[in-house]
Amino acid sequence: MRKEETKLLNEKTIEENILTSRDYKYGFYTDIAMDRIPKGLSEDTIHLICDKKNEPDWMRSWRLKAYRHWTTMSEPHWPNFEYGPIDYQSVSYYSAPQKVKEGPQSMAQVDPELVKAFEKLGIPLSEQKRLAGVAVDAVFDSVSVGTTHQAELAKQGVIFCSMTEAIRHHGDLVKQYMGSVVPYTDNFFATLNSAVFSDGSFCYIPKGVKCPLELSTYFRINAAESGQFERTLIVAESGSYVSYLEGCTAPMRDENQLHAAVVELIALDDAQIKYSTVQNWYSGDKEGRGGIYNFVTKRGKCLGRRSKISWTQVEAGAAITWKYPSCILQGDESIGEFYSVALTNHRMKADTGTKMIHIGKKTRSTVVSKGISTDESNNNYRGLIKIMPTADGARNFSQCDSMLVGNKCSANTFPYIEVKNSTATLEHEASTSKINAEQVFYLKSRGLDMEESIALIINGFCKDVFKELPMEFAVEAVRLLQMKLEGSVG
Amino acid sequence: MIQSDKNMTFIERCHEWADQLRKGKSPDWLRELRQQGWDCFERLGIPSVKDEEWKYTNIRPALDHCYALFIQPQLRAVDALPGYRDEQDINIVFVNGQLSRGLSNMDKPPLGMTVATLTELLTAKEGLARALWTTDHVSQPPAFVALNEALAGDGVYIEISDKVATDQVIHIIHLTSASREKVLTAPRTLIRLGKSSEATILESHVALNDHDVYFTVPLTDIFLADNAICHYTKAQKESLQAYHVGTTRVWQKRDSSFDGFSVVAGAAITRNNLDVAIDGEGATASLNGLYSIYKDQHVDNHTAVDHRQPNATSNQLYKGILNDAAHAVFNGKIFVRQIAQQTNSYQLNKNLLLGKECRIDTKPQLEIFADNVKCTHGATIGQLDEDEIFYLRSRAISRKEATQLLLQGFVDDLVGRLSSASVGRKVSQLLAPSLEAVG
Repeated sequence: MRKEETKLLNEKTIEENILTSRDYKYGFYTDIAMDRIPKGLSEDTIHLICDKKNEPDWMRSWRLKAYRHWTTMSEPHWPNFEYGPIDYQSVSYYSAPQKVKEGPQSMAQVDPELVKAFEKLGIPLSEQKRLAGVAVDAVFDSVSVGTTHQAELAKQGVIFCSMTEAIRHHGDLVKQYMGSVVPYTDNFFATLNSAVFSDGSFCYIPKGVKCPLELSTYFRINAAESGQFERTLIVAESGSYVSYLEGCTAPMRDENQLHAAVVELIALDDAQIKYSTVQNWYSGDKEGRGGIYNFVTKRGKCLGRRSKISWTQVEAGAAITWKYPSCILQGDESIGEFYSVALTNHRMKADTGTKMIHIGKKTRSTVVSKGISTDESNNNYRGLIKIMPTADGARNFSQCDSMLVGNKCSANTFPYIEVKNSTATLEHEASTSKINAEQVFYLKSRGLDMEESIALIINGFCKDVFKELPMEFAVEAVRLLQMKLEGSVG
Repeated sequence: MIQSDKNMTFIERCHEWADQLRKGKSPDWLRELRQQGWDCFERLGIPSVKDEEWKYTNIRPALDHCYALFIQPQLRAVDALPGYRDEQDINIVFVNGQLSRGLSNMDKPPLGMTVATLTELLTAKEGLARALWTTDHVSQPPAFVALNEALAGDGVYIEISDKVATDQVIHIIHLTSASREKVLTAPRTLIRLGKSSEATILESHVALNDHDVYFTVPLTDIFLADNAICHYTKAQKESLQAYHVGTTRVWQKRDSSFDGFSVVAGAAITRNNLDVAIDGEGATASLNGLYSIYKDQHVDNHTAVDHRQPNATSNQLYKGILNDAAHAVFNGKIFVRQIAQQTNSYQLNKNLLLGKECRIDTKPQLEIFADNVKCTHGATIGQLDEDEIFYLRSRAISRKEATQLLLQGFVDDLVGRLSSASVGRKVSQLLAPSLEAVG
C-alpha cells in the first residue's frame, strides 16, 4: 500500500515538473523511511554523527576542533551576489535512508526503492547494467547507499568506497591525507563541512596503476530541511591515473538547501587525476524561489614531480554556485588544468573560476572558462593565477569567454593575476559578446529554427570544454545545456 | 606657509590644515564643500591593503613623514625646467603647489580659450566655479579625492569655447622642490571643452632631484561637451622618494572623444585613478598608459570606464616595463550598464619583466549588464624574446643596445600614437632615465 502511494506521488511530481518547468526532470522526491537526527548544530550534533557512524576517536576530535574553529568564524559575504540568511540551526545534519544505516553492503542488498530512484536519474546501480565501464558510488542525502564494481577494482589494488568505510578500514590513509589540501581552518563552509561531513567517496590508486574503470559519485539530495555535507578524497600514487566523475541532482522545493562539500585531490610523482563534474542541482523556479546553495571547496595538490590535475566542470544547476576548483602546483613540472562551462538561467547566480598556485619550477597551467547567462541570471568568472618566487619558468594560459543571451542578465569577470617571479610567462584573454546575429541568420536560412540555431552555436562555443569530458558525460552535458536553454531563447 | 607639529599623525595634521583653510577667506559654499570633503575623508580613513581597491598597494609608508602644506621653493625659478618647458606652449607652472608667474606664460591665451587659476576664477565667475566644484554626480568619492577636496588650495581652470580648435599644447607643470622640508600638495585642475572644440593638454608632475620626499594628491576633472575632442596626457616623473596619489575624472557627452595617455616614470609609490564616465551616445574613449620603473618603485594604475549610454567605444592599452625589484599593479574595470547596448570595449595590459625581483599584479575586470556588446580584455606577462635579441646581436649590436632597441620599440608603439610631437618629445625625455638603466 505504502509503496503504491510512493509511486503515485513520484509520478505526480514528475508530471507537475513537466508542466511547471520543462528544464528540470530530476525534481521528483522519493518517499522513503528516513533516519534523521534533530535539527540544530552543537557539539552534541557532532558526537551524534560520530556515534551513528562508529568513528574512531581521532576523527571525532578532528571534527570537534573544526566545529570549535567554525564558531569563531563569520559567514563570508564578499561575492557578487546576496544569499541567505542561512539558519544553521534549522538544518538536519544527518539524514539517511533507514535501511542503509548499517553501512552499505553488497549491491544486491540495497533497498529496491533506492535503486529505482537512482534508475530514474539514469544511474543503474545493478552491476549487470554497468554503464560502459563506470564504477558508481551513490550518495543519497547523508550516506553512501552503495558502490559498484568494488571487487573488480580491488583486483588492481584500487580502493573505491564511501568515506565511512574508508575511515573504518583504511584509517591510516585517510588520517594521512584528509585535511592536507583543504585544512579544517580553510574557510567558513569548508570548516563547517569538516565538522559535520556525513559521507562521501574515498579513492586510492596504488603506484603505477591505471584505473581500469571511470570512477564516479552521484550525489542526490532528497530529504527536506537537510543539507548535504560530503567529503571526497582522491589519492593517486606515483605513476597512477584515474578519471573521476561527479553528478548531482535534487528535488524541486521552495526552500534553499545548503550543499557544502569538500573535495581534496592529491597527485604524487607522475600521477594524473582527471576530475569531471556535471552539476545539475535544482536551480529554483523562474522567480528565483528555492534551489540549492552550492558552496563547495575543491582543491587539488600536485605534490609530485610531473604530476597533473585536470578539473572539468559543467555547472548548469543550483540557485547559487560558488566554487573555485583549484590546483596547487607544488611539484616541479606539474600541470594544472581547468575547463569550465557555467550556464545560468532564470535567476541563478554563479560565481565560479579557479585558482592556480604555481610553486614548483616549470609548472604549467591552462584555464578555459565559458560562461553563458540567460534570463535574469548573473554569471561571474573569478580566478587567481599566482606565480610564487620559487616557480621559475612558470607558464599560464587563461581564456574566459562569456556569452549573454537576453538583456536582463549580466556577466562579469574578475581575473586576478599575481606574479612574483620574473621568468614567468602569462597570457590572459577574455571576451564578452552576444550570439552573432549573422551566424543565427545563416543557420536559420538552412532551415533550423531559432532555438536549434542557438543551441548549435552555444555547443560550438563550449566545444573546447566538452571535448575534455569523458564521452558519456559529454553527451549528457550537451543534452543538459539544450534542456536548460529551452524557453530561454527565441 | 602652514607648518605643523612633528608629533601629530598624518590625519591630525590634515585636520589642522583643513580647519585653517576653512578659516581663510572664501565663499560659504566652498567652505561647506571643503568641510564635506574633510568629513568624507575622515569617515573613510586611509585605505589599507584590506580594501579591495588597495589590495596590492600599501600607501602607509607615505604617511610616516611629517609634511608641511605649501612651502616656498628653495631654488631660483629660472633654473627650474631646463629643456622641458617650451615657449611655444601655453605654460602654467606651479611650484610646490603655488603658481609661479615667472615661469608661466598664460596671460594672453588665444581667442576662445580661458586659462586661469582657480583663485582668479573664484573672483571673476563665482557662479561657474561653484557649478564646476559641486560634484553631486559623484556618489562616493574615494578617500584621496575627498582629501584633495578638503585641502586643494589653488589650481588651474581651462575652458575652450564652442567650435574652437587649437593645436597649441596647454602645458600644466607641477614642479616640486623640497629638499629641506617635506611638502604635501593637493592641486586641482578643471578642464572644460565646449561643443565641437579640440585641445591638447599635458599635465606634468616633475621634480628637480630624486631625493626629495613629498606627497601629492592631485585631482583633475575634465568635462567634454558634445563632439569635443580632448588629447590629454598625464606625465609623471616625481622624485624617486615621492608619493603620488592622483585622480583624473572624465565626463563625456554625445560623440565626444577623449584621447588619454598616462606616463609614469617616477615616484616611490604611484597610484593613478582614471575614471571615465560615458554619458553620451557615440562617444569614444581611449585610455593608454605606459609605466617604466626600476629600483623598488611601485606603480598602481586603476582605470574605470563606465558605459552609461549606448553606441560608445572605449579602448585601453597599458604597457609596462619593470626592472630590478619594481612592482606594478594594473586594475582595469569596464562597466556596461543595461542601457548601453552596442558598446565596444577593449582592454589590454602588457608587461615586460626584466628584473630578477620584480612583481606584477594585474586584474582586468568586466562587469556587463547589456547583451548586445563586444568586450574583450587581455593581459600578458613575459620577457624580451631571446630570438629577437639574438638576431640583433648577430648584426654586431651589443646586448645592452639590443635590449634598449627592443624596449624603444615597445615604448614607441604608444608614444608614437600621440597626436602632438611636442608632447611625444617631452614624454620620451621623462622616460629616458629608466630605459637607460636597463641592460
